[in-house]
Amino acid sequence: MKSLKLLLVLFLVVLPFAAGAGQTEKKAKTIDELVEMYDSSGCKDCHAEIYTQWEKSHHARPLMGVKGGLMLTPLATKGATAFSPDDPQRATIKNFPCFKCHLPQALISAEDSVAVELAQALVAQDATKVAKLRITCTVCHNARAIIHKRELGEPEKGVLYSSKKDIDAHPDKTFTKVKKSAIMKNAIFCGQCHGLGPNLEFDQPFQCANLYGSYLHSYIPAGGTHTCQECHMKKGDHVIAPNFNDDKQTSELLAQAISLDVQTLGYEWLRKAKDYTPKVVVNTKITTTAGHRIPDG
Amino acid sequence: MIVTAKSPDGTEIGKAERHYHPQATNCRDTKMKYGAQWKVANLRDTSLQPYQTKADTIEFDLPAGVRTAEVTVDLVYQAVNPDNSYPIHSVTNTVTLDR
Ligand code: HEC
Ligand code: HEC
Ligand code: HEC
Ligand code: HEC
Ligand code: HEC
Repeated sequence: MKSLKLLLVLFLVVLPFAAGAGQTEKKAKTIDELVEMYDSSGCKDCHAEIYTQWEKSHHARPLMGVKGGLMLTPLATKGATAFSPDDPQRATIKNFPCFKCHLPQALISAEDSVAVELAQALVAQDATKVAKLRITCTVCHNARAIIHKRELGEPEKGVLYSSKKDIDAHPDKTFTKVKKSAIMKNAIFCGQCHGLGPNLEFDQPFQCANLYGSYLHSYIPAGGTHTCQECHMKKGDHVIAPNFNDDKQTSELLAQAISLDVQTLGYEWLRKAKDYTPKVVVNTKITTTAGHRIPDG
Repeated sequence: MIVTAKSPDGTEIGKAERHYHPQATNCRDTKMKYGAQWKVANLRDTSLQPYQTKADTIEFDLPAGVRTAEVTVDLVYQAVNPDNSYPIHSVTNTVTLDR
């Protein structure tokens, strides 16, 4: 009897934790299945403004590169990188270490067959298919909303996490609850993907974004106190600019953030007796208001 | 940052560039790498840092007979490749030795 009770208790405790987004469920075999699992198009009905902002963001097209460059193409091309498979048919999730940050849901919920399909799409330059893979609302508001997993468990299925408050009855069909996330207001939430430096955990290390490292080791020591969200998500803005596909806006934001002071001087320098060199001296001073290095990467 | 000096007739008399960005190798050779799949760690970082001023001095010698120059400083952001540029600031000063 006692052991049965223990078993029951164990079940009760373990179940909710194990049922994180896609965690114990069947994994996706195809790109469409993966897209379906993290589909956030339904959020548009009620959060239209945020949805439109998100659609303009890099998070909505994390495998497209800047201006549609399909930057994962070399990883699907034989011999082009240390990670590339010999044949796209034999690609596995491990051939795409970039998923760690560019598509974290693939690590949680995708079979290797998804990597095969992606590799084939990249070789064929099928941008429409690659574009389906996005850092959707639920990747941030569920899969990446908890990091203290030993204390707080895995993100729960059917629950969205907010930076603000618990909501017991959230009107979405799948996500019927909202809980407060411990980290969505903190810089570390973004730091999960924005890089500390070399990714040393792979069998061949490499480095992409290392902006969070710069934030931690340059901005914080200099006395900076703002979070990423405070600078990049004012009023909850989900464009999370810059959007490098919008040239005009990017130039404007950079012009606001970076100041350039130019001082010029013309004079005749006396090298040695009677030997004047006419000179122009240009002194420049550049400062930024960012909370990290500019540019990164 | 591109600094160009021109004489009054428009002839370029000097040009200098400064590049501000982190630079990485693969830690196996001394070549700078480009692209996440090749970079392993930064070995030099000239990027703009928070709360720090990036100061530079650029000097041009004026050719014989030229006493006035138009100096333009263009600050440009380049993402992914140099052809993809976002202009930030452009400042032009006229400098003359005659007073
Ligand atoms: C049927 C309408 C509806 C749909 C669909 C819907 N939401 Fe909501 N959502 C709401 C309402 C209403 C609130 C409550 C706002 C409040 O009380 O402040 C809310 C609240 C939230 C909050 C918390 C806001 C806060 O202020 O703390 C988050 C986060 C959220 N929704 C995300 C999503 C995401 C992500 C999706 C898609 C998976 C989604 N919602 C789908 C209507 C909807
Ligand atoms: C540690 C997380 C992380 C990993 C791993 C990672 N990236 Fe990135 N990558 C980012 C982030 C965040 C950005 C955007 C911000 C930035 O550039 O600072 C980015 C930007 C890029 C960009 C520029 C496009 C843009 O919109 O700025 C390219 C190209 C890129 N990554 C390629 C790759 C490739 C290829 C891999 C795998 C070999 C990879 N990344 C692995 C986090 C990562
Ligand atoms: C890159 C991660 C990311 C993505 C993608 C994302 N969000 Fe958010 N969202 C956040 C963060 C972080 C906050 C909190 C911002 C703050 O502290 O000001 C937030 C705030 C919100 C809020 C207000 C409640 C709160 O938590 O403060 C709503 C509602 C919301 N998001 C809905 C959505 C919807 C709908 C989508 C998809 C269209 C979406 N989000 C996509 C990170 C994300
Ligand atoms: C799930 C991983 C992930 C999280 C969490 C995340 N980002 Fe990103 N972010 C990325 C990736 C990947 C890119 C680059 C996409 C691409 O290649 O265009 C990116 C792009 C950006 C960009 C556009 C600039 C560029 O170089 O592409 C900004 C700004 C940004 N993120 C800020 C934030 C902020 C602020 C947060 C926290 C609220 C955050 N991100 C959370 C992965 C993430
Ligand atoms: C003090 C304000 C501030 C803070 C804090 C801050 N940023 Fe920024 N960030 C900026 C400004 C300003 C820019 C440059 C202007 C622009 O392009 O929007 C920028 C640019 C960026 C870019 C583009 C980088 C590039 O290579 O040009 C990314 C990505 C980014 N921030 C992400 C983050 C993340 C992630 C955090 C938190 C770890 C963060 N930022 C914290 C102000 C801030």
